[in-house]
Amino acid sequence: MSNPWIAIGALGVVAVAIPLSMMAISSLLRPRVPEQGKTTTYESGEVPTGTPRIRFNIQYYMVALLFVIFDLETVLIFPWTVIYRDAVSTAGLTTVLVPMLVFIGVLVVGLAWAWRNGAVRWVRTPRRELTTKRES
Amino acid sequence: MTDPVSAALGLGGYQPLVPALLLGVTALLVLLVDTIWPNEQSNTLLATVTIAGSLASLLVAGAQLFLSPEAATLFDGQLIVDGMSLFFTVIFTSVTALVALASHDYIAERPNQGEYYALVVLAATGMTLLASANSLVTAFVSLELASLPSYALVAYLKDNRGSAEGSLKYLLIGGLSSAVFLYGISLVYAVTGTLKLTEIATVLDAGIDGSLTGVLGIGIVMILGGVAFKTASVPFHFWAPEAYEGAPAPIAGFLSSASKAAGFVLAFRVFLTAFPTSAVAGVDWVLAFEVLALITMTLGTFAAATQEEVKRMLAYSSIAHAGYALIALGALTGAADRLLVGAGMLHLLVYGFMNTGAFLFIALAEQWGIGRRFEDFNGLAKEAPVACTAMSLFLVSLAGLPFGGGFVSKYFLLLGTVLSSSYLLAAALIVNSALSVYIYARVIKAMWIEDPVPGRTIEEYPTGLYAAVVVAAVVTVLLLPGLALFTDPAQLASNALF
Amino acid sequence: MIAAKYYLLLSAAVFCIGLFGILTRRNALIFLMSIELMLNAANINLVAFSAQHGNLSGQVFSLFTMALAAAEVAVGIGIILVLYRNFDDVDVTTATTMRW
Repeated sequence: MSNPWIAIGALGVVAVAIPLSMMAISSLLRPRVPEQGKTTTYESGEVPTGTPRIRFNIQYYMVALLFVIFDLETVLIFPWTVIYRDAVSTAGLTTVLVPMLVFIGVLVVGLAWAWRNGAVRWVRTPRRELTTKRES
Repeated sequence: MTDPVSAALGLGGYQPLVPALLLGVTALLVLLVDTIWPNEQSNTLLATVTIAGSLASLLVAGAQLFLSPEAATLFDGQLIVDGMSLFFTVIFTSVTALVALASHDYIAERPNQGEYYALVVLAATGMTLLASANSLVTAFVSLELASLPSYALVAYLKDNRGSAEGSLKYLLIGGLSSAVFLYGISLVYAVTGTLKLTEIATVLDAGIDGSLTGVLGIGIVMILGGVAFKTASVPFHFWAPEAYEGAPAPIAGFLSSASKAAGFVLAFRVFLTAFPTSAVAGVDWVLAFEVLALITMTLGTFAAATQEEVKRMLAYSSIAHAGYALIALGALTGAADRLLVGAGMLHLLVYGFMNTGAFLFIALAEQWGIGRRFEDFNGLAKEAPVACTAMSLFLVSLAGLPFGGGFVSKYFLLLGTVLSSSYLLAAALIVNSALSVYIYARVIKAMWIEDPVPGRTIEEYPTGLYAAVVVAAVVTVLLLPGLALFTDPAQLASNALF
Repeated sequence: MIAAKYYLLLSAAVFCIGLFGILTRRNALIFLMSIELMLNAANINLVAFSAQHGNLSGQVFSLFTMALAAAEVAVGIGIILVLYRNFDDVDVTTATTMRW
């Protein structure tokens, strides 16, 4: 019985060899016509201006933050859902359901607070406000 | 154990957790108040809710401590409510009430008051749970619940560069040490296969594979690192002066008293329950604590002596006091273990009042807009005699002179070191205390003897801050004879650990 | 089953990469990322030894630490924003108004 890791190693070797050989063979075969247009970022597209590092509006941060926090709370709910049916049949509905409702209730208090204090309100920039006013 | 009130509320088996639950509910109430009236200045209402919640929690914890201090385990042994956790809950809740009372004046003119009170109460909830943690999971989760609000609270003065800087250092070192702490937990889990403190002790008692002693040792040292951060002991103390100096003064008091006590309750619980010296013969953590205590108190005292600013001096003095409390673990030789741990708890109780009071006096000085240096306090006693009397009481009590409870608790610590023949620690305690008299005397001399700074007038005397300072001073003095009241619970609590 | 020591080596390597990042980088954001790496090194240990010992407490604990790590980052980025507003930089060495 040969070691099963040999097959995995062979797969790795093949996976590296195929792209390398493709690049090597095509560089041997293809004609070379150096031209300025080929070196641009978007060939036959827009000419990029400015740096790639632009500042994002800070309000994306608030939304992303709320998302991360509430998204990760599902991690804590997940094991509960796995055992839910078994637990209900052995311990009864209230013992299983009430703690999770309390947990979600605490989260809801937090979300309501964040909402009321304007964490998810999108404040428009003054210039934008000006144009909307002119349109109306 | 079940009284009619908790039975009516359906609390049943959760009755021992009432102090922590009260604090958690208070935090939610503060958020609700802020949700209903978000843009109004509801400072007084928020402060009232906070103080009422923490006092209610204090009352329940005190009643449980004196009436029925039997240990109760909850949630399959994840939490334990015993004498020690109730004792520390008393410390946390009283400091929280004092800080909230003082903050009412301190943050009256500032925005985001709802967040401020909610974070203070949430941190107190975390500390209370930490005192009851009986497994490494609950210990880590409640440690983070206590730490994360503290990082944000230090940065509360958003436009102040010192506040941002102190908070950044606190966050970075805190994050690093919680990662180290967690890795230590994972190594201990790797060796023992359990996360509950009592079960870890059982597994270690039965003996482990000799090749795993190294892994266990690294794990214990890493857990010790996490504890050293929370108590601001020396290799992990760099955040402390910066965070205390940059933070709003009431928060500095909160962190240096309550948060530090939380670190100690974690240390007592984890090291005495999970790693009793008899079970981990290969890993001598008592020696590590002895070295930590020696370096911490000496470096804290000497650094405090060279400071030019009063708040920073207090920050270093709080590091020195962490060193005194570390004696409780560093002098464990089997001769006077119970006395030592009890003495450490008593010291943290007295320290909770005298140190919070001293930082609240600094808050008062910041409100008046007088400077931070020693000279700026010159002749302050002529204008504010009550506050300066209180501050002088805090300082002599911190120094260990017999005018406040600090004398008795230091005496017990000294007695413990002598009985367990740790003469090096005893000598360090005496020398550093003697040196600290000189440090604190500088402030007292400036306030009472020097001529007043010309042109300084104090316009207002904020009631809440004054009340908090006076209450802290009265309790500090009353603890000189009154500490006898607490020696029995502390002794019982520490007996239960061995 | 893979021997336990390989898990220990892997997690130790990840932990050390995180520690190296903290010791050498000066950008506060990279600092936070390195702390994440160290927390996840501990998670590797917890999950691996949970399987090794045949109990679930380690796996469940790793779920808690993931949530806590997210909370820590949320607070951390807020503080870094305050730092940026005050110092116009996220370099941890520029904030030196206080000296010990």
